[in-house]
Amino acid sequence: MSLSVHALSVRVHRAQLLHDITLEVAPGECLGLIGPNGSGKSTLMRSLAGLLRPRAGEVRLQGQPLARLSARTRAQRIALVEQQADTTDRLRVREAVELGRTPYLSPLRGWSPQDDARVDRALAAVEMTALADRLWHTLSGGEQQRVHIARALAQDPEVLLLDEPTNHLDIRHQLALLALVRELRITRVIALHDLNQALGCDRLALLDGGRLRAIGRPEEVLTEAALRRHFGVGAIRTTDPSGQPALHFTHAL
Amino acid sequence: MRPAARAAPWLLGPLILAVAILAGTAIGETRLPPATVWQTLANHLWGASHAVDRIDAGIIWSYRLPRALVAAACGAGLALTGVVLQALLRNPLADPYLMGLSAGASTGAVLVSIAGVGAGAVSLSAGALAGALAAFGAVVALAHAVQGGTGGGRGTRAAAAIILAGIAGSQMFNALTAFIIARSANAEQARGILFWLMGNLSGIRWDDVAPAILATLAGTGICLWHRRSLDAFTFGPDSAASLGIEVRKVRGLLITVTALMIGVLVSKVGAIGFVGLVVPHAMRFLVGTRHQRLVPASALAGAVFLVAADVIARIIVPGQVLPIGVITALVGAPAFAVILIRGARR
Ligand SMILES: Nc1ncnc2c1ncn2[C@@H]1O[C@H](COP(=O)(O)OP(=O)(O)OP(=O)(O)O)[C@@H](O)[C@H]1O
Ligand SMILES: [Mg+2]
Repeated sequence: MSLSVHALSVRVHRAQLLHDITLEVAPGECLGLIGPNGSGKSTLMRSLAGLLRPRAGEVRLQGQPLARLSARTRAQRIALVEQQADTTDRLRVREAVELGRTPYLSPLRGWSPQDDARVDRALAAVEMTALADRLWHTLSGGEQQRVHIARALAQDPEVLLLDEPTNHLDIRHQLALLALVRELRITRVIALHDLNQALGCDRLALLDGGRLRAIGRPEEVLTEAALRRHFGVGAIRTTDPSGQPALHFTHAL
Repeated sequence: MRPAARAAPWLLGPLILAVAILAGTAIGETRLPPATVWQTLANHLWGASHAVDRIDAGIIWSYRLPRALVAAACGAGLALTGVVLQALLRNPLADPYLMGLSAGASTGAVLVSIAGVGAGAVSLSAGALAGALAAFGAVVALAHAVQGGTGGGRGTRAAAAIILAGIAGSQMFNALTAFIIARSANAEQARGILFWLMGNLSGIRWDDVAPAILATLAGTGICLWHRRSLDAFTFGPDSAASLGIEVRKVRGLLITVTALMIGVLVSKVGAIGFVGLVVPHAMRFLVGTRHQRLVPASALAGAVFLVAADVIARIIVPGQVLPIGVITALVGAPAFAVILIRGARR
């Protein structure tokens, strides 16, 4: 499904967090969202998920304004993995993933074997099947992050929004997760801090100070000048031994 | 599990409750044999004609049975409200009185009984209900004014605003109550109102039974209907919203419904503490955190707990009836400490 943002501005109290952002994500595309801390990535993610009401402009899903969909329909189409979400409840991993089926259940339509199958598949996708009976608070940060991702997958979305999903993950699980995300056929928007990982996205959108500074193919966006200007680092573009483009960071400015 | 095995706990719960209510009608200052209780009930319920002593029958049918039934309804309502507020506000210390209900009910009660508002035409319980709802309205208005804005973590900040507004509102109404007592009550009245504030079931008659039970049943039904929404709040209101829950609507509805229910119950029996705080936590250990099980389990456990507490309050000091809130606090506070310690160790 296509997702588009039209002249979106978001304001909280007196602070304007996003200024006039317009962009489009094609069906099946993977758009990377990059930018320094506080640039507005999470704010844009939350707007894309319909959790923030914009002050001006709108987000459209398949051409339809998001605000016109019911919360339930929206949740059947769009899943969000937040940057941080914790609980003090004594909850098992499987129960946390089962929450992803909420938009498909109703007071009268109960749990079905299909729901179980979805949950099993989501747990397997993030390699958490063996830990399905563990209690939430006994998991490591990376394991918790993988459970959140499984919950989003169990939601069976057509658009998947991931806010820094590789946070806390060890290198193997980072690569496994990115490979998993890359293989999904659905529309994906993913906020990333590791710019070398961001090079693997179809396109990148660069945010700074709540404005969209550049959008395009990774090598067009991540120029040495842009890295200098928006991230404050000196960098050299190279190719790694396998011939893929790579960034080598030399110093902070 | 076979269906029979799965159904067993749900038959066991109501059975325990029925036994507790029967015990509540048998035990008291004059202990009556279960056979007498049974015969009296049979006489009234299906017109059997056992020969029962008239006074015994009067005690059982007119005093103890309505009292036990209202105790059960209150216990269930309090525990249920604790479950709902703890889930929606993501705060383990949330309890039914957080929204200013008991403070407002007390103010209403002292206004009627001590300051003489309504000139005898208004009952204590009507005054308490009006006070509870006025305080709830004030807390909601305050929470609304505090939260403002629409930014990141909106739902989380709204939950914090509700808790802060509840504390502020409760303090204000408690101060009002203390002011009225200090200004116009004599020692006798002050003792009476203190008794009421700690929970008093001795005035309960059949008139009170239907409102209490209907309020509790309606509240339980509505919470069960929204059980999946309550589950969806596990990772906070923003996460609930991304799971398709209309957070403001659901939260507003459930808080209002439980507040109305508690308003009715508090106006009948006064403010009984600790049930709404302790029972939900204890039940989470027993049946887990999913509301499909937690809601009915907490309602049943709260009902049994309060019926038992009422029996204990009547017999622990011979010749004297203690406020039921004393018993619930004496049992509830240590139980809560144990839960906290176990929670920290887990
Ligand atoms: N409720 C709020 N009120 C005021 N300012 C806010 C609020 N929420 C976020 N901000 C500010 O908005 C800016 C953008 O925040 P956002 O969380 O979108 O950044 P981000 O790009 O995700 O950063 P990070 O890389 O650290 O996750 C930050 O400067 C933040 O301080
Ligand atoms: Mg962020």
